[in-house]
Amino acid sequence: MSTAIDWISIPLVGLPLISSIVLLIFIGNSSVAAREKLGPSIRMVSLIVSFFMLGVTTMMFFGQMDNMTDWTTMNFGSFNFEHRYVWIESLGIHWSVGMDALSFPMVWLTTFLLPITIAATWNEKNASVYFPLILMMGGALIGVFVALDLFMFYVFWELTLIPMFFLILKWGGKDRKYASQKFFIYTFTASVVMLLGLITMYFLQPDSALTYSGTWTGRTFDIPTLISHSQAANANGMWFLGESMQKVLFVMLMLGFLVKLPSVPFHTWLPDAHVQAPTGGSMLLAGVMLKMGAYGMFRLPLAMFPHAAEFFQFWLLALGMVSLVWGAVVCLGQTNLKKMVAYSSVSHMGVILIGIATMQPLGWAAALFMMFAHGIISPMLFAVCGAFKHHYHSMEIGAMRGMAKHSPWLATSMMFAWMASLGLPLLAGFVAELMMFLALWHFLAAENWSVFWMVGPAFVLAITAAYYLWSMQRTIFEGGEDTQPPASLHGEPVPDIADSEKIAMVIMAAFTILFGVMPWIALDMMNGWTVAFFEQLLIPILNGGA
Amino acid sequence: MESVIEPFGEGFVTALAPEFVLVIGLFTLMIVPNLGDAKFRIPLTQIRIPWFFGGKRGTLDSDPRLPGIFASIFFAIAFLLAIVSFLGGMNQTTVASGENVLLKVDEFSRLFELIFYGALALASIASINRLPATFRADRSASGLYNNRRQVDFYILLMTCGLGMSVVALAQDMFLLFIGLELASFSTYVLVAFLKETKEGSEAGMKYFIVGSVASGVGLYGLSLLYLWAGSLQFTDLAAQFDTSGMEALPLAGLGMLLVGFGFKVSAAPFHFAAPDAYAGAPGPVAGVLATASKAMGIVGLLRILLVVASPENSDDGTTVWLVALAVMSVVTMTWGNLAALGSTNPKRMLAYSSVAHAGYMMAAITAIGALNWEPAHVMDSKSASLAIVTALMFHLVVLVCFKLGAFLVLSLLESENGGHTLESLGGLVKREPFLAVAMFIFMMSLAGVPPLAGFLSKLLVIMGIVKAALLEASASGNISFSEIHWVWYLALIMVINSAVSVFYYLRVGLVMFFHEPEAGREGPLPKGNSVRLAIAACVISTVYFGIGAGQLIALCESAANALVGAW
Repeated sequence: MSTAIDWISIPLVGLPLISSIVLLIFIGNSSVAAREKLGPSIRMVSLIVSFFMLGVTTMMFFGQMDNMTDWTTMNFGSFNFEHRYVWIESLGIHWSVGMDALSFPMVWLTTFLLPITIAATWNEKNASVYFPLILMMGGALIGVFVALDLFMFYVFWELTLIPMFFLILKWGGKDRKYASQKFFIYTFTASVVMLLGLITMYFLQPDSALTYSGTWTGRTFDIPTLISHSQAANANGMWFLGESMQKVLFVMLMLGFLVKLPSVPFHTWLPDAHVQAPTGGSMLLAGVMLKMGAYGMFRLPLAMFPHAAEFFQFWLLALGMVSLVWGAVVCLGQTNLKKMVAYSSVSHMGVILIGIATMQPLGWAAALFMMFAHGIISPMLFAVCGAFKHHYHSMEIGAMRGMAKHSPWLATSMMFAWMASLGLPLLAGFVAELMMFLALWHFLAAENWSVFWMVGPAFVLAITAAYYLWSMQRTIFEGGEDTQPPASLHGEPVPDIADSEKIAMVIMAAFTILFGVMPWIALDMMNGWTVAFFEQLLIPILNGGA
Repeated sequence: MESVIEPFGEGFVTALAPEFVLVIGLFTLMIVPNLGDAKFRIPLTQIRIPWFFGGKRGTLDSDPRLPGIFASIFFAIAFLLAIVSFLGGMNQTTVASGENVLLKVDEFSRLFELIFYGALALASIASINRLPATFRADRSASGLYNNRRQVDFYILLMTCGLGMSVVALAQDMFLLFIGLELASFSTYVLVAFLKETKEGSEAGMKYFIVGSVASGVGLYGLSLLYLWAGSLQFTDLAAQFDTSGMEALPLAGLGMLLVGFGFKVSAAPFHFAAPDAYAGAPGPVAGVLATASKAMGIVGLLRILLVVASPENSDDGTTVWLVALAVMSVVTMTWGNLAALGSTNPKRMLAYSSVAHAGYMMAAITAIGALNWEPAHVMDSKSASLAIVTALMFHLVVLVCFKLGAFLVLSLLESENGGHTLESLGGLVKREPFLAVAMFIFMMSLAGVPPLAGFLSKLLVIMGIVKAALLEASASGNISFSEIHWVWYLALIMVINSAVSVFYYLRVGLVMFFHEPEAGREGPLPKGNSVRLAIAACVISTVYFGIGAGQLIALCESAANALVGAW
């Protein structure tokens, strides 16, 4: 353990969590009138905190910190800014944090989205509680990504539910009670099954003296230790923990992650949660929270149970394919803008799952890049939906016509976001989709699988274009001279989006272009991580002992 | 350090200091409010000797607030003394009269005493506001009524605490039963204490009838055991069980004792009185029933199942009660959760959630029964049962923090005649944010959401079960899924159940934060600093034991070691 400053625990996890709790306690003790008055200053405090976090992660991105390895050349299983503190000694629980090229893009994305979210929802009501909750959400999300201890990982994994539950419940739409409870119960149920899997895995480790193990149980929760241990046990065609056990544990762990992702049979919480959630909640939910599922898959089951992953490859691919197609087809039938965007998220998460299922370095890099690109694009989609809600009080496709004439800013943002999401070349989403296609082709050819697997993605490309273009045409174009503002405005003048929203939109659009034109900025480290993973872990295990 | 002493022999008082504090408290409560200026006249003379009992009472000792303050102080002293006995290593003391071992002071019994005294101290502190006593101000009927019954209430709390500590200390089935009855009879009256309300008398009646039937059945089982073994000493019973444990007589006796203790922990199907009792009892008393009284039942179960009918007694290394207890635990947790889903009275809801928690704990005890005590595995089995007992103790300790805390919040609502419908919690966050946040923390902790104490306790219980289930299999390295012992599925049922339970816990939060207050309840809540103090203590400990539980786990481990090590 180095004596260097713990750049993760202090500014990235501790700061947002503690400052939000302090702010909330402070607000709880002040009168109702004072709360209204304090709103703007609390918003400013939250913005400053989030900017500080963004500054820290950006410094990390440019490699400007002490004692860090370059993100692109890291070995598998090594971490930057690694710190460990004993938490519960008898069980081997540590507060241990660290980042590698898998988690760093997600952490940067979270810190990037926090100020954007604050800006995009600048005028949210009950500001004095809303902005601390957003900060708390950010801290909990980063905690998930940086945790190197299973216990800590699970704690933060569940902690993300609480601020999101309140965000949906307090600032949500009409059916917010139903949606927030459904959201909480769905993900909680999956998580406890995952927890049982984690504990079973914990006790199945051989009782040898592993590092960071509990004084009392003799087992460890430490993720890098577990991975390196499973790596040795998986080698030479052996199955870590035994064949049937590995399969069962893989399924239990994946269940938790698939519900969070979400993949098709478990996705129904997502549209409800998204439609009811406030804009800021949706942005963080789609931008980062869904990626927790994919991140978890890479971090735990894929690294520890590669044999089982190979065994379930068909099912993963099938699930991804079904999510991709089903999400897109359902989009066609939506009349609510936000619901459509929510289902398109399901479809995009299908892409991630397919990328994982190919078990190709390119596919995994595609999945990682998709996580990142979708993390920038989907908040923009939801910001646009939120702007519709906020300014037009309606998100019904077809309730309005020719909005481009009244609200050019909103129309432009919508068009840009929609195009980015359907995968227009030179925008970030395209890179990921293209990579996924190549990887899938490569995989099908290499493994002699039927070419008909390609039908799904090809079909979806057309559908995606169809629903996005159709919704755009019906909302912002059409109507000619007699444009039709939504009835919900009751004849008031049609507003355009506020300045703070414009700033947020422009920044998100700029980064979408940046990562579309120069994907290597982020892709290099993802590639580095994937290649290291394959070279040092997967290939020796899967091909070595055969 | 271990020592054996005679009853009332040398070192007896120091060894049982917390209990003696309670006894002193009991007498103080009886004597002090009766002190007056009475004089005793020696017959045939005019000499009057001051006698002090009765007569005109002084201003200080006739203050009706006195009993509550006294009881809280005595419970707090007993609690502190129990903590002090842990410092610098426990002095394990056995109280034996000749051959017969009566009481044993060790980490196990002391930790349970901490649970009992902690819960009772919090309850008595909260009761100062729940059963308000007013000095010379309130002349209303209910005010006078409450003033008059102060002493009774706190005396009953004291006897309850005394009975519970006897249960924890007892090394003899009969002594254990006496303690159990002392505590039970006190709780019967405490439940019915608000006799002027309809719910109160109904609750008392139901609880008393079902409870006394359960006690009667338990006592009958005890008599069967005595008939069979000729002694009710734990050690004698255990030795006898080793040789002839599979006979019909001891098994019938064991089953009947299970009924008696099953009622105390409110396990299905003996839980029917619990929801009514909790709903009718004053909030702090319901909290005691759900925490301390349940812990007492768990002591009984642990003693009878693990110490007496311990696993190594049967041929195949598992135990006879294994399947029965497993079925009971599954039924209990599922029934509790499903019934809680449908209840709209928050106290009934908490009662059913307490039933569900009983199911979790019984699942943990079942897992101990599944351990293989073959000589080859005995060390592993010991460490696994140690883990499970530790988890149970931890669960019971932290249960005092959040379950009792939840009842205390409700007791504050009872003071304004609310707390019987979920809607009376409506808009609590607007009326008093502290209480709403506290209640939400308690609910989340009950549901097992990290990083609160309830999560850690559930995690420890699941870990214990899983460890026990995997023990035999993992000894051989790589194993197949079908080789895992079936108690693993108890853990699965438990996690699914705890996912179901989230629904009703969340609903409380929903009502508090997002419903408008009921008509007539918009104003601030009744005053009461001591109950808020108790709630604050509960909140702080719920959060603290969730984040920094290391010391408490070590404490529980030493306590579990005292029980398991004695096998």
